[in-house]
Amino acid sequence: MTSPKDNKSQIWKKDLPKHTFILLVLLLELFPLYMMLQISVKNNVTFNANQWLPITPDKWEWGNFVFGYNLIMPYVANTVFVAVTGTVFTLVFAVFAAYFFARYKMPLSGFLWAVFLLIMLIPGVANIVPLFVLLKNMNLLNTLWALIIVGIAGGQVFAIFILRNFIEDIPKDLFEAAEIDGASHLQQVINVVLPMCAPIIGTLFILEFLGKWNDFLLPLIVLRDQDLFTIGVGLIYLDGEYNKDYGKIMAAFFIASLPLIIIFMFTMKLFVKGLSAGALKG
Amino acid sequence: MAQPISYRKALNEWPLYLLVIPSLVAVLTFSYFPVLSAVYHSFFDWRGGDAKEFIGFDNFTRAFSDEQLRYSFFVIFILVIANVFKMIPSIAVAVLVHRLVSENAQYYYRLLLVLPMIVPGLVTLFIWKFFLDPNFGALNAFLDITGLKTLLIWLDQTFLHWGVFRADAPIAWLSQPKLIIPSLIIWGFPWIGATGVLIFLAGLQSIGTDVYEAAELDGVGPLSKFFYIELPLILTQVRLNLILMVIGTLQGFGLQLLLLGDSGGPEGAGMVPGLWMYNRAFGAGEFGYACAIGLMLFVFILALTWVNNKFIRVQK
Repeated sequence: MTSPKDNKSQIWKKDLPKHTFILLVLLLELFPLYMMLQISVKNNVTFNANQWLPITPDKWEWGNFVFGYNLIMPYVANTVFVAVTGTVFTLVFAVFAAYFFARYKMPLSGFLWAVFLLIMLIPGVANIVPLFVLLKNMNLLNTLWALIIVGIAGGQVFAIFILRNFIEDIPKDLFEAAEIDGASHLQQVINVVLPMCAPIIGTLFILEFLGKWNDFLLPLIVLRDQDLFTIGVGLIYLDGEYNKDYGKIMAAFFIASLPLIIIFMFTMKLFVKGLSAGALKG
Repeated sequence: MAQPISYRKALNEWPLYLLVIPSLVAVLTFSYFPVLSAVYHSFFDWRGGDAKEFIGFDNFTRAFSDEQLRYSFFVIFILVIANVFKMIPSIAVAVLVHRLVSENAQYYYRLLLVLPMIVPGLVTLFIWKFFLDPNFGALNAFLDITGLKTLLIWLDQTFLHWGVFRADAPIAWLSQPKLIIPSLIIWGFPWIGATGVLIFLAGLQSIGTDVYEAAELDGVGPLSKFFYIELPLILTQVRLNLILMVIGTLQGFGLQLLLLGDSGGPEGAGMVPGLWMYNRAFGAGEFGYACAIGLMLFVFILALTWVNNKFIRVQK
């Protein structure tokens, strides 16, 4: 017989090669993050002296963060506006549409469902050029609303697809009880669907938000005024500047990542769950 | 399932249709209309304004003899192949994490794997661009320290004859045409996709520890364990990831645009079809031709999706 303690150290010994490999991979994976953090406090002198190792706090160049903050914050504000507004409307529209499909088999239901599903098969690549001209004709070029509206349209299919399944799983009695009490469909959505589907709506919120937060192609095409830049376009312009001060650039990168880091801290569980839900989308 | 409803009752419930209209209008305007517009305008000489001239199939005949476009399909083909191999680390890490006995360790590794996701993809990309910098970049420093550069120089002199790895100059990853494709492949090393790992882990979860113990008793080696126990269980996820990856790679061009600019780098060495479409539309103003390129790519991807649905059915 082995005591539990022996057993534990045995397991540890057996798993050691696995731990080593995983840790090595993780180290490499996290290396960019490390470089960003430690370079963000260096000025050109300390950077040129040694770019690999962190420096002690007394030599930190706090001015980098002031630069990064002033540069990125207006972009962050624009991005938050676009991503939050876009995500809220995406989900409002999607909950309504999913309710339509899940509640009754209405005439034309099947056809309309096919209209939505077909989009999943259409690769988006052919869209971007005509989309630009369409936005131009709608006088939406160089506005944040262009990003919001296109974002809303782009998020529909996935959200409706997931939400329909969840709404169909709600016991029918709940809807019937609400109906007997004289609730309209709108009231049923608000009083039955929203509470019952709150967790999945939270997860979808994060997924849709992340997608819109990270988008840079459409903003790059649509936006011209620096006042309107979202984080993505802002960083692209920063990258294009000639005189490179890597400390300042990394500090700007760090500030650009901050909003996500803060969100991540509060919604870690939803994050991981959301990703797994995204995994099951196909 | 949605409840069946009689026509008479459906008439009474007509306000329900109002609920689907916002989504429907959004999707028809911004997903369907642009595709139809692309089909229509691919037959025109069109510079994005009101003026356009019908030119029949000219855009398409031009595309077929377009050297840059042909080369871009060659590049994307290589990148797809490379991306297939780049899935291996994610699978390996998922399997190894799953095989760990300690559930605590499994949890913490999962958390660490998700950590890089808090940095916007764009930032990671720019940090990598910095890594590829000839003078300050981490990649060149690594090659210097480990002596791998000597090996590369030797390879270059004896086999490749590219003249890009030289002892007297730092390696210019993003400005040597011959090194562009390798850079596009190296980018993101060790190629762990957090989403991918989590998906594979979810698939592996159904294997109980008893299966492993039984396998151990039978003296099954770690590799056989992978091929006989683990791989069959995550095959669905692997296929799904593979399909999404192929489609994503074929139509993606954000990476190339940000690393190399809209001309695809020196001599257009990193040009991919999507980027060429972007370049033609927003660089040269040839919107009609760009629509034709987009449409060809579209048909190509649609055909692949069809083949996949027809022959490689993913079991649910």
